[in-house]
Amino acid sequence: MLDVLHQLGLGFLHLAQPANAAALVVGLVVGMLVAVLPGLTLVMGVVLALPFTYGMEITPSIVLLTAMYLSGTYGGAFTAILFRIPGEPLDVPLLWDGYAMARKGQAALALGWTLFAALWGGLITAVTAVGLALPFAKFALRFDTPEYFAVVIFGLTGVAALGSGSLANALISLCIGLLLATVGVDPLYGAERFAFGVPILKDGIEYLTVMVGAYGLGEVLARLERAFASPPLERSGEIQTRIPRLRDAWPMRATFARSSLIGVLCGIVPGAGATVASFIAYGTEAQYGKARARLGSGIPEGIVAPQIASTATVGGHMVPLLALGLPGSGATAVILGAFLLHGVQPGPQIFQTSADMVYTIFASMFASVLGMCLLGYFAIRPLVKVLYLPEAATSAFVALFCFVGAFSARNSLTDLWMIAVFGIVGYLFERWRFPIAPMVLGCILGPTAETSFMTTMIANHNDWTVFFTRPISGSVMALAIVTLAYSLIRTLREQRRMLAISGR
Amino acid sequence: MRGASRFRRLGARLQASLPYAVVFAAAAFFYFVAGRFQYAAKPEELGPDVWPKTILALAMAVCTLQIAWQLLRPAGDGRGASPKAESGEDAAPRVPYLLAAGIVLTLAYVAALEVLGFFLATAAYLALFMIIGRFRRPLAVAATSVLGSLAFVFVFMKIVYVSLPLGVGAFQAVSIWILALLGVR
Repeated sequence: MLDVLHQLGLGFLHLAQPANAAALVVGLVVGMLVAVLPGLTLVMGVVLALPFTYGMEITPSIVLLTAMYLSGTYGGAFTAILFRIPGEPLDVPLLWDGYAMARKGQAALALGWTLFAALWGGLITAVTAVGLALPFAKFALRFDTPEYFAVVIFGLTGVAALGSGSLANALISLCIGLLLATVGVDPLYGAERFAFGVPILKDGIEYLTVMVGAYGLGEVLARLERAFASPPLERSGEIQTRIPRLRDAWPMRATFARSSLIGVLCGIVPGAGATVASFIAYGTEAQYGKARARLGSGIPEGIVAPQIASTATVGGHMVPLLALGLPGSGATAVILGAFLLHGVQPGPQIFQTSADMVYTIFASMFASVLGMCLLGYFAIRPLVKVLYLPEAATSAFVALFCFVGAFSARNSLTDLWMIAVFGIVGYLFERWRFPIAPMVLGCILGPTAETSFMTTMIANHNDWTVFFTRPISGSVMALAIVTLAYSLIRTLREQRRMLAISGR
Repeated sequence: MRGASRFRRLGARLQASLPYAVVFAAAAFFYFVAGRFQYAAKPEELGPDVWPKTILALAMAVCTLQIAWQLLRPAGDGRGASPKAESGEDAAPRVPYLLAAGIVLTLAYVAALEVLGFFLATAAYLALFMIIGRFRRPLAVAATSVLGSLAFVFVFMKIVYVSLPLGVGAFQAVSIWILALLGVR
């Protein structure tokens, strides 16, 4: 414990270095802007920032992306409360009580509760990350290839099963991602797979082009098809923040505890993420909260619960990312991409080989929480001005960022064709409601999954039961099956409910 | 009347199963291709086709189930509202020709980069994209696209040291002139 605190202290010292501090500030501001702009999602923002980190050292790169991720979970609250425009899907629950409170002329107080909740959720998430990552990593040191395969499968099935939308579509998206990862020369046999004699395909498909194309360009094309139509700005109340008193927060301590727990758990479980946490926290308040009867009428509980839960997921996501190299969300997949681009594979060893970097990242999470709250308090007026930028112009630049970002990775014009192709694929995914995150994660984790699968099979004479008979891999595989079964049951129940409604 | 409504329903069901049919067909094709990988087989070891074939089989199984569900499901089944739908974003009507224009413009941009060079191709792309996106203030469009392209050239070539395409012939001369103007050597 003392060692962890010592390392964390050193992390704060490293964070004070100009490059790291500058990355933190830039990450916070850009994350806020991205979250405020309705056409840009948090993951898209992190994806677009990735190419700018090529020339940076690894620590400031990850600090920048993590700061963006954290502040992105908070920035969208402003537009949800003030203008009834959720910057991110995770901000939708804030419309119900946040906007309602603003309509009652208490916008400043609503923003104050959001800030308070983001601060609490953020500190919880940072403490979680510091407290859980090392035990996770120590446990993961016992892993062999069957365990790695099981963990990757659990991560991938979690992302497919626990996201919002159709399970079948998520599984298909995952299969497409895994298949994309097989294109090129196979590492065990040197066989050419799905290259069709095309030189660029022989080198494999860069996950960066899949990520940037599908998330960035795909979303731009989807918005263009709707002519960048946004709801008219309907300003509600004054644009300033009034911090609530501690004695007003004390009666809501159960809400704080419940939402923090929901956020942390949704963070650790791959695929659950901030949007799911935000909705679950609001739903839990609606079922068990003391003020459940008044929920939706503009009360603090309806603001605090989703905001705490969504911010609290970040640390939970960082734990498996750093300790196992397993990203549980789109944003952490991008952060994993940044690690890999700098030649660092996150995993249990990283705590021994790069402890400085890991604890600087943890320190940056604490600093990001304070920074985003200060930014939210003092810079709200200029921040919401970006809402008045024409979306056609911002989207044109987003598309350009996608191209230039991908080009800078390898200086290859063929990568731009890949971006265009995956932009169209991303649009088709959006059009047919196939989630993009499973495809991206499949593409990133596919090689690890295949290598650990093949190595295990070779070492165990093609006996696939080994994945289920070893204690750790068997337990993790069981968890993966339970996750899939849960999602399947949820889907069937939902379908039965919809049938019952339409039958009435 | 009832026949027309039945045809409409069947049409809707076929339309809903179309993406799964497309993915199934593609997966079947790739499964066939995977069976023809060239490699030196090792005795009693799985080949490089096993992993992709497993993934493709899973994809085909899910697609089959989905096609069957779409065609046989009871009438009236639907999906719950997504967060996006609740935020009102999905309410805006689709304008397919804007999408088509956007895709064609994007493909043309990638094709033109090598010939026109980064600055000219990008300025044209930004301007046309904004016009397609119904931003109809010519002065603002022109200024944003030219200044934006210059900013990109400056940041990437002078600060980040990325070698952006210069184009060919007369276009290359323009690019070099722009670089000189920005002090990029």
